[in-house]
Amino acid sequence: MPDLEEGSAVSRRLVLKGAAGAGAAGIALGGMAVSGAGRAGTPSPASLELRGPAEPVAGETAGEPIVVHVRDVAAGEIDIYRGTTETRLVDRELAARLARASR
Amino acid sequence: MSSHREAPEISKDPVADSSDLYAFVSPDVPNHVTIIANYIPFQEAAGGPNFYEFADDVQYEIHIDTKGAGKADITYQFAFRTALRDASSFLYNTGPITSLSSVNWNRRQLYTVQRTDSTGTKSLGKNLTCPPCNIGPLSTPGYATKLADPAVHTLSDGSKVFAGQRAEGFYADLGSIFDLANLRPFQNLNVYGKADGLSSAAGVNATRLLNVHSIALQVPISRITQKGRPVIGVWTTAARQKVRILGHPVQASGPFVQISRLGNPLINEVLIPQGQKDFWNTQAPHADSQFAKYVTSPELAARLPALYPGVFPNLAALVKSGKPRTDLKDLLMTGLRSGVISGFTNFTGSVAADMLRLNTAIPPSSSPNILGVLGGDLAGFPNGRRVFDDVVTIELRALAGRTYPLVDSAYTPDDAAGALTDGLTPSSLGMPFLDSFPYLGTPFDGYDDPSS
Repeated sequence: MPDLEEGSAVSRRLVLKGAAGAGAAGIALGGMAVSGAGRAGTPSPASLELRGPAEPVAGETAGEPIVVHVRDVAAGEIDIYRGTTETRLVDRELAARLARASR
Repeated sequence: MSSHREAPEISKDPVADSSDLYAFVSPDVPNHVTIIANYIPFQEAAGGPNFYEFADDVQYEIHIDTKGAGKADITYQFAFRTALRDASSFLYNTGPITSLSSVNWNRRQLYTVQRTDSTGTKSLGKNLTCPPCNIGPLSTPGYATKLADPAVHTLSDGSKVFAGQRAEGFYADLGSIFDLANLRPFQNLNVYGKADGLSSAAGVNATRLLNVHSIALQVPISRITQKGRPVIGVWTTAARQKVRILGHPVQASGPFVQISRLGNPLINEVLIPQGQKDFWNTQAPHADSQFAKYVTSPELAARLPALYPGVFPNLAALVKSGKPRTDLKDLLMTGLRSGVISGFTNFTGSVAADMLRLNTAIPPSSSPNILGVLGGDLAGFPNGRRVFDDVVTIELRALAGRTYPLVDSAYTPDDAAGALTDGLTPSSLGMPFLDSFPYLGTPFDGYDDPSS
């Protein structure tokens, strides 16, 4: 099981769903919709955009960005930013998947 | 200076760049302390059509340490919100702005004030109005009385607040200081000035005709001191959310992180080295022992004898001795203990922390001296800081060894250490200070003073 610090409001499933279509190690998640950010300086290709499943998440705020930052792929360190919170997730498998998705 | 563009990163983010901090017992209301934190330095008055304003996405705070730990026991937080009356107009105003409710004023700012202390966080004011920038006699007629005065608000705890544009109150000959410390009154003695054949000249104020944005509070002394502890430490910080996604609209996420701070004038500017300046801005005062070596071994003190050959022989010997400048540490990081100067202390404790230390028990001076404590006026810097205090001259002289006898009575300062100045006074600003809150002068307008 991944380690969640500071009580994350973000489910691992949501992040995994988003990761499937994400385009960079730093990913902005808009509610249930995930937009691949593409490489720096390049437009975000439509093919990298994924609409997440209609799975309601308690307390979801429409349009509020969720930003995922893979700090260290090898260590599986992922920071998740939402509102004014920052949550450290440690999940090597997820970090590796996000890294693969960013290529 | 005093903290304008003082570090590489914050110099690129002026809305979050704290430029000056003042804290003093209010001369006209001596049972109140006034604290002013200035942001957005070097404003040209004609800087339209998007005139200067606070940032909606920056968290501005003023902190007060009442226990001497270098930690905030009281924090005032200011959050701004920009409102457009007509988004289809490109103009700041579409006619004369004759009041804070004028329909001609298109782009305005409102703000909230919160106070956090040991009892929790309380809102002290909501939807408070900033004044507009001072555009010109046609756009902002009667600026002082019709727009600035009504923007002084009374908070729910009885304190006063003002947030908006003011005339710059800090004066410094930056052009000469940053040109190899070629202080114009002494440029005939500067090693490079002398080689260039320069003669002594009057100082030139680089901040003349410029404006800033001020956040000013006037608070009863009893609200910000602990019983039996009249000395407070004050500093200001600005913070942004950790993540920013550029595009339209810009989105921010994550916790607020500190990117700017200011206590005493000129600390990060003059004492902290280039490689540490950005880091210093992220730190809290209680962690300042990590920077103490830059205060006790200041680079400028070591360079002065070389820049002014033969002028500072005693300072040169002091530097060569390797003795730490504990006088500067006392002045800037702990405050002066009782007994060092007769009838005075602003000591907060042994924790080395950059805070503006104000002994609120010392009444305002009836005959102020712009050199503050150095000039025998115990109500001035480094006992807090008043708007007119000549902090450049005070700190130049301190660095040159004028204050070292405070910790070593055997030391004789060089004559030049008592004469050093960049040659300016408050009159160099071109705009008088006010006698009452918020004390900083009416901002220059862009029509009458379009360029500095």
